[in-house]
Amino acid sequence: MKNKIIVMLSLGGLFILLILAGLPSPASAHHSPACLITRAKDSPKLPSPTSAQAPEEKLFEIKARNFVFTPNVIQVNQGDLVRIRLISEDVHHGLYLDGYEIQTSALPGQEGTLTFVANKTGRFTFRCSVTCGEFHPYMVGYLVVEPNSPFFIYVFLTIALALANLAFVVLRRS
Amino acid sequence: MSRKEIIAVILFILATVITIAGVVGVEAYRRRELYTVELTARAPEHGNWYPQEITVPLGEEVRILIRNIDTVSHGFALPDFEVAVPEIKAGQVAVVQFVANKSGTFPFLCTVWCAGRHMEMRGELIVE
Amino acid sequence: MSEDKLFGLIDLNFRFELTKFKLVRALCKSRWLPLLLILFNLFIFVIILLAGLFGGYSAGNYNFGIMMVWILWWVLLILMLVPGFARMWCLMCPFPIFSDWAQRGKLFEVRQGKLGGLNLKWPKRLSSMWVLNLAFLATTFFSGFFTVRPFATFILLGIIILVAFLTGLVFQKRTFCLYLCPVSGFQGLYSQFATAEVRRKDPEICKKHTPKTCFVGNEKGYGCPWLRTPFDFAKNTYCGLCLECFKTCPHDNMALNLRPPGVDLLVDTKREPRGLDEAYKAFIMLGIAIVFYLAFQGPWGVIKDMVRATTLEGYLGYITFHTVFNLLIIPGIFFLFAYLSKLFSGNKEVPLKKIFTNFSYTLVPLGLGVWIGFSLGIILPNGSYLLHILSDPFAWGWNLFGTAHFPWTPVLTHLLGYLQGATLIVFYLFSIAYGFRSSRQTYPDLPQARRGWIPMLGLLTLITTAFLWLFMG
Repeated sequence: MKNKIIVMLSLGGLFILLILAGLPSPASAHHSPACLITRAKDSPKLPSPTSAQAPEEKLFEIKARNFVFTPNVIQVNQGDLVRIRLISEDVHHGLYLDGYEIQTSALPGQEGTLTFVANKTGRFTFRCSVTCGEFHPYMVGYLVVEPNSPFFIYVFLTIALALANLAFVVLRRS
Repeated sequence: MSRKEIIAVILFILATVITIAGVVGVEAYRRRELYTVELTARAPEHGNWYPQEITVPLGEEVRILIRNIDTVSHGFALPDFEVAVPEIKAGQVAVVQFVANKSGTFPFLCTVWCAGRHMEMRGELIVE
Repeated sequence: MSEDKLFGLIDLNFRFELTKFKLVRALCKSRWLPLLLILFNLFIFVIILLAGLFGGYSAGNYNFGIMMVWILWWVLLILMLVPGFARMWCLMCPFPIFSDWAQRGKLFEVRQGKLGGLNLKWPKRLSSMWVLNLAFLATTFFSGFFTVRPFATFILLGIIILVAFLTGLVFQKRTFCLYLCPVSGFQGLYSQFATAEVRRKDPEICKKHTPKTCFVGNEKGYGCPWLRTPFDFAKNTYCGLCLECFKTCPHDNMALNLRPPGVDLLVDTKREPRGLDEAYKAFIMLGIAIVFYLAFQGPWGVIKDMVRATTLEGYLGYITFHTVFNLLIIPGIFFLFAYLSKLFSGNKEVPLKKIFTNFSYTLVPLGLGVWIGFSLGIILPNGSYLLHILSDPFAWGWNLFGTAHFPWTPVLTHLLGYLQGATLIVFYLFSIAYGFRSSRQTYPDLPQARRGWIPMLGLLTLITTAFLWLFMG
């Protein structure tokens, strides 16, 4: 019984640890000027660079049409100032960005804009936020903020666990 | 049949027949009491406004239940009576209300770019 | 086996008997227990069917039928019911109530003597998961329609209800649930991982007890509708948790237990042998998870166009690829690693089929983890629609609970990747923990088991890494 509790706790602990391992430092998540929805013209100040590369300003023109964003995967470096112009080519589409929790929407001939500092690393899904047809819930794209450390931490952990299992198997006597 | 068996059968009937009859009945009553007419909105490619012609008597208050049964947003405007709903999202409803105080034929149209043939999404209100 | 401990900590023989509590035991023995839940779900599904019928081709994300079935039901099934309580859904599933009633002539009471209907036996050759495998695979051909079109969900449910009823008239007991229901197979397979089970308590009591009322039935309840032998079965796979054996056992010898997850993966008895059918179920589930993730949570428009059949060629291409991928490519890769395992072990006697089948069960925890990850990707972004559809189930402008205008709000999606990845790694741990045990069961001695395990460990790590890439990379 006691052992079961220990295992439950350690599994739960591992689970939480894994989630924490991937998270950016919580301070940067809320108190930085990142979560701004601004027009393209006002540019928020860049925070002090945390990654190796100097932060750049990156502009993406994302076209939304028929349940697809083009480009569907956009890549930036941590600290970059990202500007997104959302252009709809058929009906009313939206763009909601996971993790940064900001959104915009665009009608044909009336584009939406989004400006933010990419201070959280990892891969974030952006989703259409306006029902645009039957496949609307499946209309997504990815924003990858390099270095994608959460992914690498998880992969290393998996490999470490595999090696631990191997060691255990080989060293086991009975 | 024992008492418990009868209870089980009653519960079965409640869950099936009574539920269906209840839902349909309540909605029919609600429609009759609250709205003059139901108007469903779909892009012209998938059926357009239905009905595309609404006839109402002169001088009476009209309440239209607009149901967007499409997968995209639509809008509604009836310029001659100055009623409009800027956006009715997919799966949502809107209600417009006005007094039909002039006779004639008046166009109503969709005001959200909803499809390639959006411009054809029109209908007529006939007041007589 | 006696002192085998999972992760060196939990004894695999550990059981916590829930039925030792009076209330649980009384509930299990009451004839109201499955019935009331079934009737409640019947009510819910009547509304789902109505919403599917009235919803027609309207937006799925604002339709009660679509949301209840593909968001709430599916996610509950994968996230809680199956990993926690095995075939808990089968306990409360409303679809067989019509044929049950037709066979028994009674809803609550127990009918004595022969059951109604033709009562034919299902052919022996088809008594496996093969039909379930193909039925489920065929169902997923249309997932681009019935997860988004209310009327398509109506048709799918209608077909299932109709086939369940007709099968019940022709074949005995729950033949439909055992060998035909599309969602039965994966529940059975993944129930082997579940943390709960129904088992007999004391084998001695069962040995002395004749006739076996749990199998033939008595005045308190029916003989096992799932055609199991409750007095000795050892695997969750085909136990529908209908609780009839609690009612028919005069010695109170049935128990509902909590247990360490996954212990059924090591069961390989004469009555419940491991089989290629279950191995293929594991492959198909893994393959479908990959294809579904690419199509529904990936950003690639080409795949979406194929799945939703914008062109006939594209759709046929999807069906062909999907079928070949699930039935040939994944089993092929697995076969390759099984062959490597045999090569590494140096053993010449063990048949390759046995290695292939035994190791395929290590995909069960991992597959379940993958599906939990996938389901998190459905519920977290889209769960908020449920508030809308509960208040306005038919899109008629109702507002039953005042939540009809609740806007779409993704919940915790900033954690989605981490949650998916962490789930995957935890279930990967279970996979490798049971994997080596399977290797021990497959090869006669420890050195061979060690060497034979290495390729499989590599494969499981590779699959996990691939899914980490899909979820986070």
